[in-house]
Amino acid sequence: MLALCFKVNAQVIGDLGDVQMDERELYTMTKQMGQFIHRFNYEEDPSGNRLYPNDKDYRSAAKRKEALPLLFDLDNPRTAGTLRDFFVEDLTKTNNQFFEFLGGDWFSEVSAKFKWKGQEVDVSMILTLEKDGLGSKWVISNVFFSEFQKYFPQGELAEREKHFLHPMSHELDFMNIYKIFKDPEIIEYYASTEYLPDYLTLFFYEIKQGNLKFDHVENVKFHVFQIKNWYFEVSWFNRRGYNSGWLISNLVYLKDSEKEALLKIYQPKR
Amino acid sequence: MKKVLFAIAFAFFAFAGYQAFAQEPELSPERKQAIDSLALEKVRDLSKYVKLIGSKNTPWSEANRVIDRAEELFAPDAEIGVSSLSKTKIEYYKVRQYLERLMRLNYDRVEIDWYKIQYVSDLQRQPDGTYVGVITIFQTFKGYDAEGRLVYQDTTKKDITVYVKRKETQIGGRLIGFWDVLLGDMRVKETTNK
Repeated sequence: MLALCFKVNAQVIGDLGDVQMDERELYTMTKQMGQFIHRFNYEEDPSGNRLYPNDKDYRSAAKRKEALPLLFDLDNPRTAGTLRDFFVEDLTKTNNQFFEFLGGDWFSEVSAKFKWKGQEVDVSMILTLEKDGLGSKWVISNVFFSEFQKYFPQGELAEREKHFLHPMSHELDFMNIYKIFKDPEIIEYYASTEYLPDYLTLFFYEIKQGNLKFDHVENVKFHVFQIKNWYFEVSWFNRRGYNSGWLISNLVYLKDSEKEALLKIYQPKR
Repeated sequence: MKKVLFAIAFAFFAFAGYQAFAQEPELSPERKQAIDSLALEKVRDLSKYVKLIGSKNTPWSEANRVIDRAEELFAPDAEIGVSSLSKTKIEYYKVRQYLERLMRLNYDRVEIDWYKIQYVSDLQRQPDGTYVGVITIFQTFKGYDAEGRLVYQDTTKKDITVYVKRKETQIGGRLIGFWDVLLGDMRVKETTNK
């Protein structure tokens, strides 16, 4: 069925290949994230031909309705059930929500192994596309590393409220400031209520200090917040069959009003 | 004062030049298709060279000449990043190093074939204005021993970076613009090994 949806005689320009075998699995595979975007928007027909604004079926709601379900990991009940159908319905009802490469609010999560003071550790780097000069580039917008997070525990609110410099400290030449350094573990309690640790700066600092050394990339996936009231994750599935390549591996109904807090995690300086 | 005026004039012209370049229209679908064909031609050349280099019937000196030709398809600093199903960590090779390894593989006979399928991405501009795209192709590899037994086979996905730059050259006193296509880093990922 899936093979029929993505017909088999396309995505060929010229005659590079000489393999005489069943290639349907490779045709249906979503081979690049760019192809995911084109299939998501219905800018590629089932034969693999690119569709342009002048083409009749370009971004067609009806065609999109058929193509979108195939971009989900069908082995996962979370992405193969009613939530998916609701998503497809929501998207094609008005058909004005499209995934734009340079549209912002989508991120790449690069999970990598590093050496931290000699020990192998996991670090996730969040990257986002930024317009620059005549084009664009991927930039690191945040980093998740458990060692950094450990330094800045949330702490009990009641405990946090006990620690402050009273508002007349300046009249005493801040003679009381020595107290804040007594317990280094909670030094950040003396910062603004708005304060958030900048993990990216810590990351760069530790790299420059030689404490953190890159080893290799383990995995790459994408987090997409661009679609109104939805979040989805796209992962790589290397497997046999007609449901492989870049596919939606997680889907969450998320009001735009709730997105901002999450987006701050991916891109603190927005 | 003259110096200041010169600096202002220079800045203005530099900015005007930048603006003119920045306002270069996006590639039309027709132009994009023409460039895709150019890029695919390079990939097609590479696939032919890889077959020749890998073949045990190609004499050593000839294989070395083909490696030279293949290397010319790539940007000077291009690398090949290889991973397998059992070893996901990427091993990095210079283009020449990768091709020489292919030439020296310890099989009595190898078969390298390319699937008919390929996927050509959109071209995106990087900050310096150069267009960059990725072409995905698939290759099967079979290695046989002296008795003709198949001892190793795999299918790999190859994602090849393509750089496209507008250049100009003088022909008969006239300035002619052309699109220069160069291959960049190539990611080689094993998808099956049986």
